[in-house]
Amino acid sequence: MKRFFSVVIMLAVLTVSSLTLVASASAEDVKMVGTISEIKIADDGKSATAILKDTKSGESVTIVVTDDLTLDKFKDKRIVEGDEIRCKFEKQDGKNSSKIFKKTAGC
Amino acid sequence: MKKRVLKLATVMLVGGMALPAISRASDDELEKKIDKLVKEVEELKRSVKKVEDKSIGKWLTIGGDYRFRYDYLRGQTRPFTDAAATFANAQNKLQQGYFNAIATGADPTPWAQGISGMTAFSQQMAGVKTYSQAKTFLAANQQMLAGLGNYAVQVPAYKPENSSLYTNRFGIDLHAKATENITVTARLVMYKVFGSQDSAAIDATGNAPYFADRVGVFDGTLGHVPSNSYLDVDRAYATWSNIADQPIWFSVGRRPSTNGAPSNLKLNNERPGNGGTPSLLVDYAFDGMTLGYAPDIEALPGAYAKICYGRGFDSGFRDTPANSIADTDMLGIAVIPVDTDPLRVWLQWNRGFNIFDFPTMSNTYFGNTMPKANLGDIDWYGAGAMSTLKHVGPGNLNMFADFGLSVTHPNDNVSSQAGFQGLMTGAFLNPEAPTSKTGWAVAAGLRYDLPSKTKLGFEYNHGSKNWITFAPAADDMWTSKVGTRGNVYEGYVIQELNLKPVSSYLSKAFFRVGYQYYDFEYTGSNNWVGAPVKMSDVNGQMMLLAPLKKAHDVYATFEVKF
Repeated sequence: MKRFFSVVIMLAVLTVSSLTLVASASAEDVKMVGTISEIKIADDGKSATAILKDTKSGESVTIVVTDDLTLDKFKDKRIVEGDEIRCKFEKQDGKNSSKIFKKTAGC
Repeated sequence: MKKRVLKLATVMLVGGMALPAISRASDDELEKKIDKLVKEVEELKRSVKKVEDKSIGKWLTIGGDYRFRYDYLRGQTRPFTDAAATFANAQNKLQQGYFNAIATGADPTPWAQGISGMTAFSQQMAGVKTYSQAKTFLAANQQMLAGLGNYAVQVPAYKPENSSLYTNRFGIDLHAKATENITVTARLVMYKVFGSQDSAAIDATGNAPYFADRVGVFDGTLGHVPSNSYLDVDRAYATWSNIADQPIWFSVGRRPSTNGAPSNLKLNNERPGNGGTPSLLVDYAFDGMTLGYAPDIEALPGAYAKICYGRGFDSGFRDTPANSIADTDMLGIAVIPVDTDPLRVWLQWNRGFNIFDFPTMSNTYFGNTMPKANLGDIDWYGAGAMSTLKHVGPGNLNMFADFGLSVTHPNDNVSSQAGFQGLMTGAFLNPEAPTSKTGWAVAAGLRYDLPSKTKLGFEYNHGSKNWITFAPAADDMWTSKVGTRGNVYEGYVIQELNLKPVSSYLSKAFFRVGYQYYDFEYTGSNNWVGAPVKMSDVNGQMMLLAPLKKAHDVYATFEVKF
């Protein structure tokens, strides 16, 4: 019985450890609300960087946007500097890749 | 010589020894100067930030629009008996007969009896509230009704025309960031007919009006139907966003419940975003509130849902000796599962509670009107979608399709000021037992945007016999086309001017030329009082509104958005 419990605990510890390892190895999703202070569209028009000033911390965060729907909004000036954005981005390899980038909801 | 050399050496030595001291002194001075400069720069930065933070551009956005519009309006009516004119005619003729009798020395008694009978009839009629009371009243006044027939004002079919209706519309938009997460938005609008300070040119000008939503201007249409040169508050609402750090918002005030999707295509406006309601179901300037939620779901970009509430009429104090009418309210739930350029889908349910018979209006063909009866409730259901497809041929293609359903729930009340008609039931002085009526409507259209900034659009609407919507503020001159019981075809061309925007990123100027053709299959479009009558069956019946069979509107605008 003791042996069984030891095995179970070992397995549990291993599972948690491996999950932790996986989690730390995988990308981290971050949500934030911030005001756009700068938008730069790449020359090829296929990506853009937007600098958001976090409304909570005041820190500036650079987000890389690659989805066409948001890029179209940058190009058409439907999203411009000064707009408040609700953003979800993936932090990986020192780069913040946008997953959701939309104006703060409300009306 | 020796002395000279010694002197020079001494000077050099002393100078050499003093040099580091001099250099150190100048370094200190420089350091002090740099420190001072750094402090000054920091101070300057703080001042600039202070000025920036307080600058009006940081928290206030100002925009607006101007529109000049020309309309050529032409229609065709069916023969009918004008109810309001008949009552007025009876009163005038009886008074005339009485005074003629006195003047000629004849016996005025029959005329006096007629006048008093007519007065009593009108007073008793105003006291009728329910269907059963109306039946009893009519049975007791058969003689008077037969007599009224002698004064009937029959209006043969005619073709109304206004060859040049010019209107001016000017709007100012304000958006203020008051605090973190709280904004206030306002829109002030002036909308008037050239050479006029009222809406007479829009209704039938001294004749029975054609449509209930164009009898006059009222709270729900102010700023959307031409009235006068006053700058009215079309929108004014405060919004609290990011509630509890979640994508939840609450907004209250005079709502952006007009010009919703997909009417933005024809109007050449931006998409209404989280605001607005489907234009097929609601186009009404409501005072109300919204609670919304826009979850962050990657698979459903732009998804949101909201509960909306609006007050259509406040009846004032209740339980008083004179007031028995209830408030008219609207409750709605909107679910937009996806909102992107290629696809926007909307699902909507609304319920109108205690629907009034007439809104409060001044100086109309019927005089000053006000709600005098609550006729019941109406449910609306809607589902629609719109899409923008890029690079379809040389340009972009916008499309939409929308479906609406209306279900009435009449109570036992009838409108005495509408001749005992109920909620989509009965005819003038011919009441009908309350029964639920279900109507439906479809709208479909497309707009093709060319790189030359030319936009070509076509729209089609159809409404069934019992279709009723809540869209009197729609931007149509004859009547709100989405409420038509029949078919409406509209084609238009927009030409934007290729000019660099100055006042805002989205400022633009454009011309729009269009044509609307209405083919009414039933009477009473946009009117929930009374039962629809097939247009081909209209032949002299007593009615409050002139039955228009067909209508044309050729229009042209010059619009500037800034």
